[in-house]
Amino acid sequence: MQKVDRRILYGILVVAVCVGLFFPSTIRTDPDPSSKSFYAEIQKLQPGSTIIVQTDWTNSTRGESLGHFENLMRLVMNGDHKFIFYSAADPAAPQVARTVIATIVAERKAQGLKEYRVGEDYVDLGYFPNAEATNTSMGANLRAAWAGRRSKMPDGNEIDIFKTPVLSKVQRIEDCQMMIVVTASQSIDIAVQRLAKKVPISALVTGVVGPTVLPFYQSGQIKGVAVGLKGVYDMEYLMEYGINDTEIEGRKYVTWDKPGAVKKIEKGTRFARGRQYYGTLHVALTLLILAVVMGNVAMFAARRRKGDQV
Amino acid sequence: MNISYDVIKITAGVIATIGLYSILYKENRFYRLFEHIFLGLAAGYTIVATWKDTLYPQWWQKMMGQAAEGTNPAVPGYWVYAALLPIGLLAYLVFNKKHNWMSKIPIGVILGLWSGQQVQIWWNTWGPQIFSSMQPIIPTTFSPLSVPPTLEVVGGRVLPIADPARAAAVQQQISNNLFVTQALTNFIFVITFLSAFSYFIFSFELKGKLMTNVNKFGRWMLMIGFGAIFGSTVMARFALVIDRMAYIVIEWVQALTRGA
Repeated sequence: MQKVDRRILYGILVVAVCVGLFFPSTIRTDPDPSSKSFYAEIQKLQPGSTIIVQTDWTNSTRGESLGHFENLMRLVMNGDHKFIFYSAADPAAPQVARTVIATIVAERKAQGLKEYRVGEDYVDLGYFPNAEATNTSMGANLRAAWAGRRSKMPDGNEIDIFKTPVLSKVQRIEDCQMMIVVTASQSIDIAVQRLAKKVPISALVTGVVGPTVLPFYQSGQIKGVAVGLKGVYDMEYLMEYGINDTEIEGRKYVTWDKPGAVKKIEKGTRFARGRQYYGTLHVALTLLILAVVMGNVAMFAARRRKGDQV
Repeated sequence: MNISYDVIKITAGVIATIGLYSILYKENRFYRLFEHIFLGLAAGYTIVATWKDTLYPQWWQKMMGQAAEGTNPAVPGYWVYAALLPIGLLAYLVFNKKHNWMSKIPIGVILGLWSGQQVQIWWNTWGPQIFSSMQPIIPTTFSPLSVPPTLEVVGGRVLPIADPARAAAVQQQISNNLFVTQALTNFIFVITFLSAFSYFIFSFELKGKLMTNVNKFGRWMLMIGFGAIFGSTVMARFALVIDRMAYIVIEWVQALTRGA
């Protein structure tokens, strides 16, 4: 058993994962309290609020961050909020975000929902090198930090970002209602250190970064956080059922220990990538646990045989 | 077949994915090729993005100014921005034996700016966490033992408390009291926190059964914490594999079907 070629295990994993992807299923779950807080915070914003989105992920963490960013765009566009996006961590991140935004805009257009347009509904700021300097200057003087940036408008012209409907009334970072950091790195730490006292921050992070971000949530430094693939699924689950909202067989499907309800999303896509991947993750983890158990059993059996021979 | 840009793009991604995963079989040239393509693309993209998104709008345009265009008035250039270039280039003198001392000037500026922020940064990071670690462990009420529910059963249905006055009263009861179950949770937190903390006491030798056991308990708590972090990391890695497989067996096939 211990002499099984690792490539056979890789092969089994690939086959199991591929098969799992074709059978997406809705697994009953209780979303994490931090995911519920994230959802509740964004849902309580007034329509037309301005949100800063710092998108610090690229295709290297696409498995988690893509689902996070897609869900965020669906939530923001569903709430009719305006947003600004940029990256302070990776030069490729803005282009990755542009592709996702275009996909979600096309999806909403096909569903007969409002089509978000660059310049009018959102502004693309591109890349800022050095997250420390970027976040510090945003906190000190937002207009100076973003000075010189221009945005395309729906008619094809380019204008100064502060002349766009998105940012025309924003003078300071405090004029924005929320900042959301989608990240696969410690850039969330930098944002919390420099901006948490000026604007409410929430985060969508990978499973690797998650354990270091949860203390920020526990201490109230960030308002909410969804972690890893579970966080992606949590968000889709909350969009489908809300909190204290959907009732199934006489029971509220998702509850929490706070009064009141948070509405589910009525129109547009709810379950998507998270649902497709979450079941598959269970398949992969089951395979991993089986491999660990069988490997250990084989190891102990081999030791016993060896001991008998001695 | 009408091969669209979308199909070509995704097919290239699929070939690159298979190329990079081929390392799992064994070291090979196909893997090395895509590794170098990836690194080259990343480096090239960074240079272009840094110029286009940062240096051009924030340095070059401010230095050169802008001519009037449409309704936009002319903006004068600020020549003083030109001084930033030689200061930045001084960093490259680190490769020159005679003048490498000059490279310390830009490094000193960066270090100075960074150091100046650290006291505030430290407090912004840890201050709120220190405060939130100080949890009360003595319950203020024993009736009820746990947090009262904000839901009620009405005709066999579990619903949020409908009467606003009662809902507010329950909420006030929750806000004003520390219930036994909450106190127990806080107690577990405080014990875990202190025991894990005690593991890092190196200034003097921990003697006595109590202190060594607390220390040992702290080590167990740390190990459990590291195990949870490792588990989260494993899930993250699996998510990457799942996404790559989805890219190949779903997105690529869909693109081919659309393109056909």
